Amino acid sequence: MAFNLTRRKFLQAASVTAAAVPLARVVSADSGFVRKPFTAPGSFADTRTVHGGVCEMCFWRCQLDGKVRGDKLVKLEGNPKSIDNGKSICARGNAGVKLLYDPDRLKYPMKNVGERGKPKWKRISWKEALDECGSKLKAVQDKYGSHGIAMFPHGASAKYPMHFFERTVGTHNVSEASFFQCRGIRDMAYLATFGTPPGEHVDMPNAKVIFLLGCHLGENVHVSHLKRYLKGLENGAKLIVVDPRFSSSAAKSDIWVKIKPGTDTAMLLAIMNYLIKEKKYDADFIDEYGNDFDKFKNGITHASLEWAAGICDIDAAQIKQVADTMAANAPNVAIHPGRHVSWYGNDFQRERALACLTGLLGAVGVKGGFVKPKGPKVKGVSWAKGHHDDGHNLKEMADKHHFAPPGTPTDLLRNTCISGKPYPIKGCVVWGQNPIQTIPGQGLTIEAMKQMDFVMCVDVMPTDVTMYADILLPEASYLERYDYIKKGTQWNFADNHQQFIAPRMPLVSPMFERKDPIWITNELAKRMGYGDKIPITSQEEKLERELKSAGLSIAKIKEEKGIHLQPGKNPYGVSEDFEVNFFSEDLEDEGYPGIPTYIPVPDVPEGYARLLYGRSPVHTFNRTQNNVWLHNAMPENPVWLNDKVAAAMGLKDGDRVELVNSEGVRSAGDSVLKVTPGIRKDAVYMAHGYGSRNPMMTIGAGAGIDDQRLITKLAVDPETGAHGMRNNFVKIIKDGKVLDLPA
Amino acid sequence: MEFANYQLTLAWVYRFLAQSLRYPESVWLTDDYWSAFSTLLGELNLHADWQDIASLLDGYDPVNDLQLEYTRLFINAVPHVVAPPYASVHLEGDGSLYGNIAEKTARFYQNKGFEYAGDDLPDHIVNELEFLAILVQEDGEGYEEFRGKLFIPWFARFKEKVLVEANHPFYRVVITLTDFFTREEQQYGV
Repeated sequence: MAFNLTRRKFLQAASVTAAAVPLARVVSADSGFVRKPFTAPGSFADTRTVHGGVCEMCFWRCQLDGKVRGDKLVKLEGNPKSIDNGKSICARGNAGVKLLYDPDRLKYPMKNVGERGKPKWKRISWKEALDECGSKLKAVQDKYGSHGIAMFPHGASAKYPMHFFERTVGTHNVSEASFFQCRGIRDMAYLATFGTPPGEHVDMPNAKVIFLLGCHLGENVHVSHLKRYLKGLENGAKLIVVDPRFSSSAAKSDIWVKIKPGTDTAMLLAIMNYLIKEKKYDADFIDEYGNDFDKFKNGITHASLEWAAGICDIDAAQIKQVADTMAANAPNVAIHPGRHVSWYGNDFQRERALACLTGLLGAVGVKGGFVKPKGPKVKGVSWAKGHHDDGHNLKEMADKHHFAPPGTPTDLLRNTCISGKPYPIKGCVVWGQNPIQTIPGQGLTIEAMKQMDFVMCVDVMPTDVTMYADILLPEASYLERYDYIKKGTQWNFADNHQQFIAPRMPLVSPMFERKDPIWITNELAKRMGYGDKIPITSQEEKLERELKSAGLSIAKIKEEKGIHLQPGKNPYGVSEDFEVNFFSEDLEDEGYPGIPTYIPVPDVPEGYARLLYGRSPVHTFNRTQNNVWLHNAMPENPVWLNDKVAAAMGLKDGDRVELVNSEGVRSAGDSVLKVTPGIRKDAVYMAHGYGSRNPMMTIGAGAGIDDQRLITKLAVDPETGAHGMRNNFVKIIKDGKVLDLPA
Repeated sequence: MEFANYQLTLAWVYRFLAQSLRYPESVWLTDDYWSAFSTLLGELNLHADWQDIASLLDGYDPVNDLQLEYTRLFINAVPHVVAPPYASVHLEGDGSLYGNIAEKTARFYQNKGFEYAGDDLPDHIVNELEFLAILVQEDGEGYEEFRGKLFIPWFARFKEKVLVEANHPFYRVVITLTDFFTREEQQYGV
């Protein structure tokens, strides 16, 4: 484009003045500007505090204040009124501002006019987007039945739409990563043993011993959880850490058990067998609360210290030391149930063993033990459960996974999507979850997505799975909407007993055309023929009705600076109906071991190392990878390798390496090698969540190695149907050459 | 009189360019719009550029083509959005929306007795062009200050990205026109 006249000449030309007339006819009447009298300098720069934020950079949900200047959120802080996280928030909490203003965030509804997996996006109106979602999902429902729709939800915003699809539309085919690739195994194992899911409810601040099996607190950062842990250490608790790796917790430990991966249950059985034989257990507690203890006792007699030592590749003396340390300090022992526990496909048994060990030590309802907080009650409002044909529940049809958490085990669901058996699943709703990063076997997930008639995704950001959407809807973030009510008690039970109720309220208004999940779901419901069943009309109404059940309102919460406090109750003590099922007839009836049982996992093949993964303190898996502050804090995930192994292989700290697994799948990118004595020789480790494949994430795409890509050998926990994700084996590639690990 | 016409014309050109950088929809991409665009390019002796655009207007769905291109260039795209049309993505900071420069821009509006009351961010290119249209008629000094300190520095970076990546001639032309009507005049030989 070449101009052969100057702007001045153009504008001065008399004929051109006339050109302005047609220009004037075609411009918008609304410039977006209004006249406003000038106000004194400085007033604009004032920052005000907005209360009522509840974080969702992870799922611990710390309570926040926002510092807002004009309509811009400039800073996030812990709400000083909080008796949970207090003024503290973590790196991710702080970096929420950068999520809010991430230029890659979804802004408008978009339609994929390209292919699934190779999308070409076009901005469309909400009406067009919702009409298409409604009609396409309805068409699937009409053709295949409600069970022809699958849903992958995650996070607070996905609850209301999940209830719509489960309860009102009537599909069982909902699979939450928080259950089937994370904590569902723990919850169901404790439910089978104690009659209640455990959360992370161990009274660490007041414990004499804290026992962490695989938990790497410090790398896994949840503020009030860490406060409990650190207060316990400050108060003199001995710390026992069982981990193949010298984690941040192992670094603080009194005893670090460098266990062989996958063998934890053997060690737990040996500890319990030893304690029983040596009569170092709480017989009174078991008399009062234990069921079928003798069966249990007799069933684990094979588990000698030496037996476990051989399996676990540790010293029998160290197992004895662990057992004696616990016994000497019982019952004030915090046996942590873990959080992300979907490791090897034998995890239900490990979690059962942890619960049994807790019972054996009488570490329930006492200082330092398993103590559930007595929090406030708030009644939720959501979709009513309709009457549906229950003949299409995949786990019932397969007669498998009888102790599965709510929803459908992902593996069953995905296999059904791919095979079409026992019935076709042709519609998919992904809401806040990134199944390509959360579910192992990425190729299968992609295959499942590709065979759908229709895929809709709702998220705040583009993710790996949104590349497979037909319609992609932009959601208001946790900083811009009303939804989840965080409830609880003061973090340290030694303090004055208090309860809190902290509903999430927006700190700023949503920008662009982002919408809250209540509005999106209701609009979808209307288009699918469920308009008459909508339980509430807006996010504000939902929250008002929920708060009303606790005698509160949004206005009252605002008046109380975002958090309602009320007197609490002493959480210690054991309820009369509490029981410890050392043996479970229910489990045995369904063909599972009635007492906790060690089930061996595949050994590491020659030349390989077991791939272990964990959390980074500055990321929440893949969800935060595009956050510029967090990316800069940890731009890639170093590959941990034992120093002696590295020396034998000619590798050194700082080398760039790739990985290839035993099934020939190679990492898409590379990362830096971290050479350390702090990991076993038979394992490598990296933080999970890196290596995003969606290039729309301009910061996070391709950064580091995607461990999930390498997890292609699938293990499924038989009781729960949850995945086990640490049974994959890798070799290291340096300069394009695949290197065997020494034996 | 001549000076007033100069300012008036420039104001309408800015408003026209602002309109052209809104999300393309048939409600404003009318025959009148294209006629005005054609006239403007004709007055600038840019007939070949008009022909490039006009040839695509005869396609199957020219508005759809522009919507796809707008989404790709300015909203979200694979492999990635080309050039978000916000100052703060390109200047003074870490590439976020609503960075310091956006606040400075809003403050500038306020100091001049205006408030941006729309539903986008204050530093969106459409808003800045609309504000230049206001200033060029009402506040010559303010116009020069806004143009020089707040608009040109980021627009220069934005423009380069669009000119390299744009597939549709419409946006190459609109951005080049925006550059022509906002740059320091001497760069065009005066």
